Amino acid sequence: MTATAIHARGLGKDFGAIRALGALDLEVREAEFFGLLGPNGAGKTTTVHLLATLLRPTRGTARVAGHDVVREDLETRRRIGLVFQETTLDRDLTVEQNLRFAARLWNLPGRVAGPRIDELLAQFGLRERRRDAVRTLSGGMRRALDIARGLLHEPRVLFLDEPTAGLDPRARRSLWELIQRLRSASGLTVFLTTHYVEEAEPCDRVAVLDRGALAALGTPAELKRAAGVSSLEAVFLARTGRPLAESTAA
Amino acid sequence: MRAIGGIVARELLRFLRQRGRLVSSLARPFVWLVFAGAGFATVFAGAGAIDYRRYLAPGLLGMVVMFGSLLAALSTVTDREAGVLRMVLVAPIRRSTVALGKTLGATLLGTMQAVAVAVLLLSLLQLWPGPAGLLLAFAAIVLSGLALGALGLVLAATMRSIENFAGVMNFVVFPMLFLSGALYPVRRLGPWLRVLVHVNPLAYGVDLLKHALLAEWAGTGYGGEMPPALDVAALLVFAAAGLAVAAALLGREGGVTRTAFRSPA
Repeated sequence: MTATAIHARGLGKDFGAIRALGALDLEVREAEFFGLLGPNGAGKTTTVHLLATLLRPTRGTARVAGHDVVREDLETRRRIGLVFQETTLDRDLTVEQNLRFAARLWNLPGRVAGPRIDELLAQFGLRERRRDAVRTLSGGMRRALDIARGLLHEPRVLFLDEPTAGLDPRARRSLWELIQRLRSASGLTVFLTTHYVEEAEPCDRVAVLDRGALAALGTPAELKRAAGVSSLEAVFLARTGRPLAESTAA
Repeated sequence: MRAIGGIVARELLRFLRQRGRLVSSLARPFVWLVFAGAGFATVFAGAGAIDYRRYLAPGLLGMVVMFGSLLAALSTVTDREAGVLRMVLVAPIRRSTVALGKTLGATLLGTMQAVAVAVLLLSLLQLWPGPAGLLLAFAAIVLSGLALGALGLVLAATMRSIENFAGVMNFVVFPMLFLSGALYPVRRLGPWLRVLVHVNPLAYGVDLLKHALLAEWAGTGYGGEMPPALDVAALLVFAAAGLAVAAALLGREGGVTRTAFRSPA
């Protein structure tokens, strides 16, 4: 049993002439709640897709949950959950049908999937809506269901790519509370990308990503101390010379 | 295997939830039978040998399979636009499994629709091919569904959005239908068009259906026009080749993360 959930060495990705990610060195410990903070276009999603085997690295290597993301892509995918920035649910099917579909894709037998689905629906406050078409759900509920879908097969590492993006403030807050509750879950590593400073703040450790390169890495407290500032917002400014909010505005 | 079952079950669930699609897929061949049947019957050269509406029956069943399977497979484009394809591609299954599941789902939908239409159509036309004929017809429907489902998946994997749908209808569906022998025998077509007939999976499917349903008229030149073994072999080749190409296309990097190429974020 390794204590490292994610291990990337010199991981990089080019799209044609565009360098989306330079050469990322990163280690995420098991059961860690890890945040990747950066503005849009910093390379966050590229990083997640590389670690989740959906993109092939241009250079470097990565192991996730003990498996090489290129050579053992199926093994890796079996052990990770991935919640995309945009929903992946079938809007025409019901809440439960979506989860049943996902359960089959992850090869869960019905007798295992049934109780697991009940448990997740209760945990994510969707029990009353299980027979409703996803189309009728609010944005916040859909995201909650997306996350439940990502947890269905009890992954060891859960990737959340901008989980609260596009939600109104109230839905964001209640979804964030749900996400925070995942921390106590037994040994689950959460790898979260965000451009909201307040979501990076409660993370165990934060990596600051800017223009495809790591600008800083540490606990929120360490980062602030090292930069001699009082907020992660100021850390980003000190490390990159640009304000996070401004570069996010686009 | 469970993943394939899941993909097939989802196709079925979606189809059953879409009442409009259900009704139109069952009504379409009868609309053709009434209008195209009445019109073409007046110019049909074989009227002395066979009633045109009966001649039309194998073609109409082929058409039902084509619309059923091809369009079901094309729904992969909608899956990609809606993001559902991402859920499938992030699952621990091979791209070839995804392609197989989608094609089998499309085959099932096409077969169900064709069987339902066949029951009504054959009773209406009092066309009784006997048990062997019915069995061969069923095989022809399933094989056509596989070939056309695989073809639809290849199209879906190369299309960016469903907006190209009109193009598919104009350049794939209608030429395939008119060059399939569904409406008239293909042997009188010019040499160039006959070449196109031979690269048209639907032509083999319709031909096999003619062997199955119009065996009685085989001697008149209005039954099957190609050897049945060739029909079967061609349909299997189309299905296998289509599956292989579709799996390769789905496995392309960026098949999931189409936006990653446009805006690396």
